[in-house]
Amino acid sequence: MTPDRMTPDQSSAADVKPTAPKGYLRLGHHVVLPVERSTVIASLFAAATLLLAAAATLTLGRLGIALGDLPSTVLGDAQGKDAFVFDRLRGPRLVTGIATGAAFGLSGALFQSVTRNPLASPDVIGLSGGAGAGAAAFALLLPGVPVWSGALLGALLAMCLVYVSTGTGFRDPGRLVVAGIGVAALATALTQYVVYVVERDKATVLTAYLNGSLAARSWTDAGTIWLVLLVAGPLAALVSRRLTIAEMGDEISAALGSDPGRTRTAAVLLSVALAAGAVSVAGPIAFIALTAPQIARRITRGAGPRQLLSALLGALLLVLADLASQQLTLFDDLPAGIYTMAVGGIYLGYLLTREWRKGTL
Amino acid sequence: MEKGNPVTTEAGTQTRKTEPPAAQGLSAEKVTLSYGSSPVVSDVSLDLPHGGLTVIVGPNGCGKSTLLKSFARVLKPERGHITLDGTDIRTLRGKEFARRVALLPQSPLAPEGITVRGLVGRGRHPHHTLLRQWSPDDDRAITLALDRAGMTELAEAQAGALSGGQRQRAWIAMVLAQDTGLILLDEPTTFLDIAHQYDLLELCAELNREGRTIVAVLHDLNQAARFASHLVVMDEGRIVAEGPPHQVLTAELVSEVFHLASDIVPDPRTGTPMVIPHERRPHERGAAVG
Repeated sequence: MTPDRMTPDQSSAADVKPTAPKGYLRLGHHVVLPVERSTVIASLFAAATLLLAAAATLTLGRLGIALGDLPSTVLGDAQGKDAFVFDRLRGPRLVTGIATGAAFGLSGALFQSVTRNPLASPDVIGLSGGAGAGAAAFALLLPGVPVWSGALLGALLAMCLVYVSTGTGFRDPGRLVVAGIGVAALATALTQYVVYVVERDKATVLTAYLNGSLAARSWTDAGTIWLVLLVAGPLAALVSRRLTIAEMGDEISAALGSDPGRTRTAAVLLSVALAAGAVSVAGPIAFIALTAPQIARRITRGAGPRQLLSALLGALLLVLADLASQQLTLFDDLPAGIYTMAVGGIYLGYLLTREWRKGTL
Repeated sequence: MEKGNPVTTEAGTQTRKTEPPAAQGLSAEKVTLSYGSSPVVSDVSLDLPHGGLTVIVGPNGCGKSTLLKSFARVLKPERGHITLDGTDIRTLRGKEFARRVALLPQSPLAPEGITVRGLVGRGRHPHHTLLRQWSPDDDRAITLALDRAGMTELAEAQAGALSGGQRQRAWIAMVLAQDTGLILLDEPTTFLDIAHQYDLLELCAELNREGRTIVAVLHDLNQAARFASHLVVMDEGRIVAEGPPHQVLTAELVSEVFHLASDIVPDPRTGTPMVIPHERRPHERGAAVG
């Protein structure tokens, strides 16, 4: 055998026990996973910042819990005002916000990877719009039924419409964006119609929901979205590796022994489930799904969907937006979705210009 | 390793010496392939000689790339079946097949932000499992693949920033890292300048001499004749001729398949047949299109 054959050389394999090199996480003999150092550092940093933002959410402002009382309050030892603020006002809102932002971020990371399009996110291709329309339609037609079921149905319906109207499913990013814009417009029309015909006081509530807000969320909302996240998150991790292979095109992917069609379907379903879950508890909060994976991509090196980091950044973005919504008294309780839309709109414009300059759009 | 010796693949499978040659390597049996409704390849049977360097040529749209894709298990035959060492490839698991056969398609996509080494590393995917995304041979296979493709110095470069020729070599390295006994290449010389085209073809010949079976779709008849041990000529979804280049490549065949009048002369360096086209008068131009 010539030395340059790539098959394992029996003699050297016997005396040198192979160990995974740098850049891998090793647990026992059977688990070896690639881990980018820059991604780990960025994730730790994002998690730390998220903790700070969470602490700020609980402590700032007139009703804020004093920093020194925070640990005991969180552990459930507080009485009176602090307990009320934590249990009823800010606690559920914060916990819901973290999981909702994470769900949006993860959803966007999956979607951008599937479509190989940095501008494709559930927001842009009409998933959130569909969810909003579904929620609005249910609020009008079936007032007794929970809003989240309408949002879920609307999201799935919108995605079916996009899938069918591209003619090639989710294969072609260009078609996907065009079809998505059409479906999003349809959804907006339906939503606006509902807002227009329902009574004024209901419309105000509905508008607040449609902008996306974390105000007055309960522990039930928090439980719902954490459940979605804890089910879909590990599944997303499972599909992650195949997704990085699918990014290289269907032929390479198939030739490497992966099934690109099934991978894509699984990833889109997870993305839809996460976004629909997030939308149903917090409304269609704009742009987090688009920007979180984009920021993740820019602050780390290498390739891949970076799901954990995208989820952390999504959580951070939403908690910050909600913090602004609570503390910027100048704008008096604007829904968090309006902050994310303003910031996200500017960022999207920047991205579009950049892609356009590079000639990749 | 001498040519014709049994190839040991990563899976440790030895090609069985006792079986007839027809059962070794990839074979198509009465395969019909289509995109949508109209068949692109009809009722084709082809054995890809084990240990050979097979080149498939033919005019645009003759179905040569489509046939190659079906050999790579990327495209499912509508009728007929493809076997690897006598087993229908549809009954093999995806990764098992991918440890034995690699494909370089025409336009693979480099993911955003990936380095050459990262890209090449993805060729190791069939050797990994869900929880064990690393194998002891990874480093060695990747280093060797980079070296063979002449990409060692560019290993840490961004794949997106490479020139067309460098990018193609990066993909070749990825395919080599897959470490298969069989390599299928779909027009691998397309983006390369002439020197790099020959570098790549020489690399294919070298890999073939070491015992790998190579199958390539090429456009250039002279290159095909120079490097192929087995030449397959396709036209309109069928195989028109196959065999050693000096038997297959005749003026009649070139005229019939490519609608090009030519002389066939021996290549002054290798003695392989070389196509010298006749001058074409205006009314003859475009005849090949019809």
